[in-house]
Amino acid sequence: MRLLLHIAARMGMALLTMLSVSLIVFVAMRMLPGGFEMIILGPIQTEEARAVITEQFGLDRSLPEQFLSWLVAVLHGDFGISMITRIPIADEILRRLGATVQLTAMAVITALCVGLPLGVAAGLADSSTSVRTCGRLVGALGASTPDFVLGVALVYIFSVWSLGLTVGGYVPFFEDPLANLRAMILPASTLSVFGIALILRTTRESVLTVMTEGYITGAVARGDDPASIVRRHVLRNASLPVMTVATIYLSLLLGGAVIVEILFTVPGVGLYTWNALLNRDYGVTQSAVLLFSGVIVTCNMLVDIAYALVDPRIRGRRQQ
Amino acid sequence: MNAIVRARDLAVDYTMPGGVVRALDGASFELLPGRSLGLVGESGSGKSTLGLAIGRLLPANVRHAAGDLEVDGRSVFALDDEGIRALRRTSLGFVFQSPMAALDPTMRIGRQITLACGGQPDVGRVPELLQQVGLPKGAARAWPHELSGGMAQRAVIAMAIARRPRLLVADEPTAALDTSLRAQILDLLVALKNETGSALVLLSHELPVVARVCEIIGVMYGGRVVELGDSAGVFSRPLHPYSRALLATAHDGARPGERLAPIPGMPPVLSGPASGCSFAPRCAFADERCRSERPPLRPIGGRLAACHHADGTAPERGSGMSSGM
Repeated sequence: MRLLLHIAARMGMALLTMLSVSLIVFVAMRMLPGGFEMIILGPIQTEEARAVITEQFGLDRSLPEQFLSWLVAVLHGDFGISMITRIPIADEILRRLGATVQLTAMAVITALCVGLPLGVAAGLADSSTSVRTCGRLVGALGASTPDFVLGVALVYIFSVWSLGLTVGGYVPFFEDPLANLRAMILPASTLSVFGIALILRTTRESVLTVMTEGYITGAVARGDDPASIVRRHVLRNASLPVMTVATIYLSLLLGGAVIVEILFTVPGVGLYTWNALLNRDYGVTQSAVLLFSGVIVTCNMLVDIAYALVDPRIRGRRQQ
Repeated sequence: MNAIVRARDLAVDYTMPGGVVRALDGASFELLPGRSLGLVGESGSGKSTLGLAIGRLLPANVRHAAGDLEVDGRSVFALDDEGIRALRRTSLGFVFQSPMAALDPTMRIGRQITLACGGQPDVGRVPELLQQVGLPKGAARAWPHELSGGMAQRAVIAMAIARRPRLLVADEPTAALDTSLRAQILDLLVALKNETGSALVLLSHELPVVARVCEIIGVMYGGRVVELGDSAGVFSRPLHPYSRALLATAHDGARPGERLAPIPGMPPVLSGPASGCSFAPRCAFADERCRSERPPLRPIGGRLAACHHADGTAPERGSGMSSGM
């Protein structure tokens, strides 16, 4: 019963977060200089022509009224149509979701596949060995290089020497998997570098901490071999902070995806959102932000559950 | 009978940022199978280092400087990594200070005891171990955080005896526990020693406690064993001035409010072998010889003591260990 209450409270908080994010984005967008009618009609137009547009799209209503009607529609599952293309926003986003999901998945998987083993190795290695120095270096460099710098550098390098990879030229995976991968490797790598560094550093710190714990000394004193100590005790106990950081990374990825999609012209939700923002296509930006915040909130809840699965102490606290 | 553990002039150095600290400075003792030895000393006396050295569990910044330490006839510092692991598995069981830290928080007690048994114990081995240490069968399903400190230490002891070690090393096993539980845990260790026939090395700073539960006492000071003998003898008639001082600080028998007599001065921090007796600066009987000549651990009145003045005569050279220890 307490557990259900806890979950209900968490979900309530999650919805409240999404509502707040929507509200903030709504207000922020309306505060941008130049509304939709300015973008559509350009600067040299009569007030009358502008009034026609604002009336047509209901932009002449008061801001609270506009926000509430948008909210009510969304709660009924209606995200509206794009003011630019007149196509339902839900369809537009769904069409682009594949590229973004693929990009994010490739980045996360790469970050985990590279960052985790390196982090564990760096954490287990003695302070004197090169593994640990290497881990430090990769961690510091990767974490402090911004996406746009790395992305621009990669665009430049691979525009000169292609090495079989393409900058831009996105093809959906199911049309031509090879061409798709050739176009996606660079943007995914750009995104994954920060993740590799973040996960490597967190894993290393976490493993180092766990290695000093009494139960590790105990296992050593019982004559367990190092490999099984790592397998049985270190990985599980070191995974908690890594999971948290991986979630934070996923949240950051969605922001990073916008930049990388623009740089590499990947037609995903990020690029779409960016263009919608430039066009003041309010409904699209609102819906995309809602989607992003929904993903982040869900990830955080999933990590909470994963925590409880790994650490019985958290389960115990909840049920008390 | 061959000793289960024997240290001969064992010296180890800690490499610290400020230089080298000699933690063991020629420690010697031996223990026969099935007997119990209590090593007593202040913090810094080297007893924990000696306890860890038995399993070669010393931190990475520790260097074996001199001497030898044999467990079950094998020199622990000469073994390769797999050799020392095998020795730990077959011959040794360790119980450390803090039971809560010694249990993996993400694993049920039963699973941890199973792993301590070597992974695939006979059916009934885990319940048998739980029963031996006085835990209910249901404890196997418990998570570490659900246990009290005393129960957790019982679980740790169950893990330590899981593979029927020939030597159990317990380093202040009751330091993190409630006073009311201490006697219970010590009695459990002694009972298990008698039941399984393993030897027991108990490290403690409380001489009376050790004297109550162990057959033999080794008093440690400045990285050496300065007195070694049967408990009753050491406890009632300590030979070494440090043993006497340690006994005087013991609060057993002191009335509430009564001032305990502290030992004046500080324990030594050595950076190399001490040139004389390391207790000399704090000793009321010290003379020039104590400061310049190392007193050997020699037999005096049926036990061993490292003091020039313990018997009021000149030290006998080339003394061996007395039998029975």
